[in-house]
Amino acid sequence: MLRRIASHLYWTARNLERAEWRARLVDVNYHLLIETPPRGAEPWAPLLAIFGEREAFAEHYATADEDSVLDFFVLDLRNPNSIRNCIITARNNALSLRHYVSSELWIDLNTLYLTAQAWTPDLFRSPGVFAFFSDLRDSFYRLSGILQTTIPRDLAYDFMQIGMMLERAEDVARMLDVKYHFLLPRLEDVGGAVDLLQWAAVLRSASALEAYRKRYGNAIEIDKVVGILLFDASFPRSARFSLDQLMVSLSRIGGEGFSSSAEDSAKVSAYFPALNELDAALKSDRSTHALQSGLHQFLIQIQDGCAAIGDEVFGRYLRVD
Amino acid sequence: MAAIVLETSSATPVWAAYKSGEGVFDEMLDLARSERSGCQPTAKALFSMPPDWFAEISGRAQQMFRRMGVTFNVYGAADGTERIFPFDAIPRVIDADTWATLEAGLIQRVRALNMFVADVYGDGNILSDGIVPRDLVLGCPQFRRAAAGIKPPLGNFITVAGIDLVRGADGRFYVLEDNVRTPSGVSYVIENRLVMTRLMPDLMRSCRVRSVERYPADLLQCLIEQAPGGKPNPTIALLTPGPYNSAFFEHVFLSQQTGIELVEGQDLVCVDHKLYMKTVHGLHQVDVLYRRIDDDFADPLVFRSDSMLGVAGLTAVLRAGNASVANGLGTGIADDKAIYAFTPAMIRYYLFEEPILPIVETYLLRDREVREEVLAKLDRYVIKPTGASGGYGVVIGPKASEEELAQVRKLIIAEPANFIAQPVIQLSMHPTIVAAGSGSGAQTQIVPRHIDFRPFVLLGEKPKVLAGGLTRVALREGSLIVNSSQGGGSKDTWVLEN
Repeated sequence: MLRRIASHLYWTARNLERAEWRARLVDVNYHLLIETPPRGAEPWAPLLAIFGEREAFAEHYATADEDSVLDFFVLDLRNPNSIRNCIITARNNALSLRHYVSSELWIDLNTLYLTAQAWTPDLFRSPGVFAFFSDLRDSFYRLSGILQTTIPRDLAYDFMQIGMMLERAEDVARMLDVKYHFLLPRLEDVGGAVDLLQWAAVLRSASALEAYRKRYGNAIEIDKVVGILLFDASFPRSARFSLDQLMVSLSRIGGEGFSSSAEDSAKVSAYFPALNELDAALKSDRSTHALQSGLHQFLIQIQDGCAAIGDEVFGRYLRVD
Repeated sequence: MAAIVLETSSATPVWAAYKSGEGVFDEMLDLARSERSGCQPTAKALFSMPPDWFAEISGRAQQMFRRMGVTFNVYGAADGTERIFPFDAIPRVIDADTWATLEAGLIQRVRALNMFVADVYGDGNILSDGIVPRDLVLGCPQFRRAAAGIKPPLGNFITVAGIDLVRGADGRFYVLEDNVRTPSGVSYVIENRLVMTRLMPDLMRSCRVRSVERYPADLLQCLIEQAPGGKPNPTIALLTPGPYNSAFFEHVFLSQQTGIELVEGQDLVCVDHKLYMKTVHGLHQVDVLYRRIDDDFADPLVFRSDSMLGVAGLTAVLRAGNASVANGLGTGIADDKAIYAFTPAMIRYYLFEEPILPIVETYLLRDREVREEVLAKLDRYVIKPTGASGGYGVVIGPKASEEELAQVRKLIIAEPANFIAQPVIQLSMHPTIVAAGSGSGAQTQIVPRHIDFRPFVLLGEKPKVLAGGLTRVALREGSLIVNSSQGGGSKDTWVLEN
């Protein structure tokens, strides 16, 4: 497979995953603000902080009010990571992939692209924010269903998986960090109604609330939230799960025969030191350690690890020049 | 020739108003009346179809093309807008005898053009013998000094040729233009056929239409034969300018159909006079490059240095004989509009044969006497700039305004060598479905529209002609312009079995 094609596959999947997480976060934050009256003057500012986009936002907008932030996160073409731009980037990468991906995937992605081209701020009033994000979430579910059911498990699939899973691990860590940015909990609030609501919202934005309740019951506790979102190998949006998938795909690519063996896994370890490091940090017995040494620091470590893995993948497989 | 009015008593009302143009050849009516044409069964069947049927098959064809994603990009559209190439469901029929002549004529012509290119970049005999003026060749914008001395396998500079033919008022096919650089359109031939087999399977079977399905396999075979030193199992790649090129659909289509890798310039690299593509598992040597980009962009070391589409060092690789390209560099010398005037002489010179297919009389305006004669009756000629393609800059005398004529006169006088003149050819016409009116009042009508024809010729160890081709139709009333970017569409072309 050509490196350029691998790169298009990687970025198509990565941008779709990114757009989906952004949609989830904005959506959840929106509903959180309805349920818990904001304390500060700029209730949307934490969201900008999570993405490290305070400055980019301030370049174009005066205050972080709802209209501006929705515009910035969803529609703004000047924001390279707006949902609309992620969709455009995904589709433009897919333009060169029409002979590698199924026509169903192309047609659906192109349709989403055409829809996103036509978005206007009016959509947040009619059909309204809720309906807008609900439709958008459906679009992403449909795309991921098509991807899973129409792409053969070969190199093309693996490069898409790598893009998707790297983005997923990074975004779940980022999302968990929402609590750090949102409010450093005042002592009297911990375990209180607001705290609980916020943790529930975090879980909900990863579609993890129901899975959590089934496993742990009603009480929402921070170590369990961290457990399911970071260390749980069975939950499909956890960092651990994403990393496992990433390693499977990388060892298949390295193994040429598209079957992953212990030998291939060993090769992967040798080629991707940053991956090894993150793998060690996310072993299930490390969760207590992560909490004790500071969750925020740990989440930053995951995000940095993902960036480093991205560089390693780029250098080994995607670099064209 | 007077206009023909349809007299078939069995014809349905949708044909009632059909009247062919005056002084033009009508492909269906003229042929339907001729004894030997073999076109009667199709015509008869189509005459008796109810009006609704035409609307229905048009609708179904549209739907199929959209679903298959058969599109072309429109230049200048900011987002690389894709359009469906308009398709007319009434097929154009060519009988077996006529085809046999065309086929022989096309092979003869492409062989001679190929020998000409090889000669120009080789010994230059045709120039020394004064058959084609040396200064015309060396001064031609399509002449590539860098191609001199390159010896492609089999002596083939041309692997794929698309020859544009028109049918004059006399019913004869004339060569209007040769395309031996990167001719496109063959994917539409194959996709059009796929749609037609679903629209009118019974009629096709009863008419015994020849298949076009083998083209990708034949193309692949020719490319394999083009490998240096006859290397077995060569690696072949198709070089595309990328997804924003107007013919990208075709590049994707051909790479899928032949199973060869679709590459862009950035995927390639030349190392030690060898050509490689960059794969996730390292460099992989390429033996044959089917390139769909112009010479100008192929190698920034030799041609345009600002090109991002080609690969630096390609020319040196070809010179070293470590890869071949199809078509070769510099083939544009053979489809230049001024050189065209010498193509009958080439055929006689290289093959010792009389040309089977006539060309349109062509006057080189660099000759003073000829120029004065043409300038005196400018409104009777078609004036074409030699450097341009795609119909750009063409002035059709009888249709041009005083102003346009004055303008082109000035241009000719300033740079006479850049222009040729030809008599006006009346393109033949063909019944075509149009929707008159719109909305619920829309009515299906069948009207005559001008058409041309682009058959495709492959040169490998042996020449092969695709039994069919792209019939382009000018959908606007009276228009002679068949280009897809300017309101042109296409029809399936049925070449009949013997």
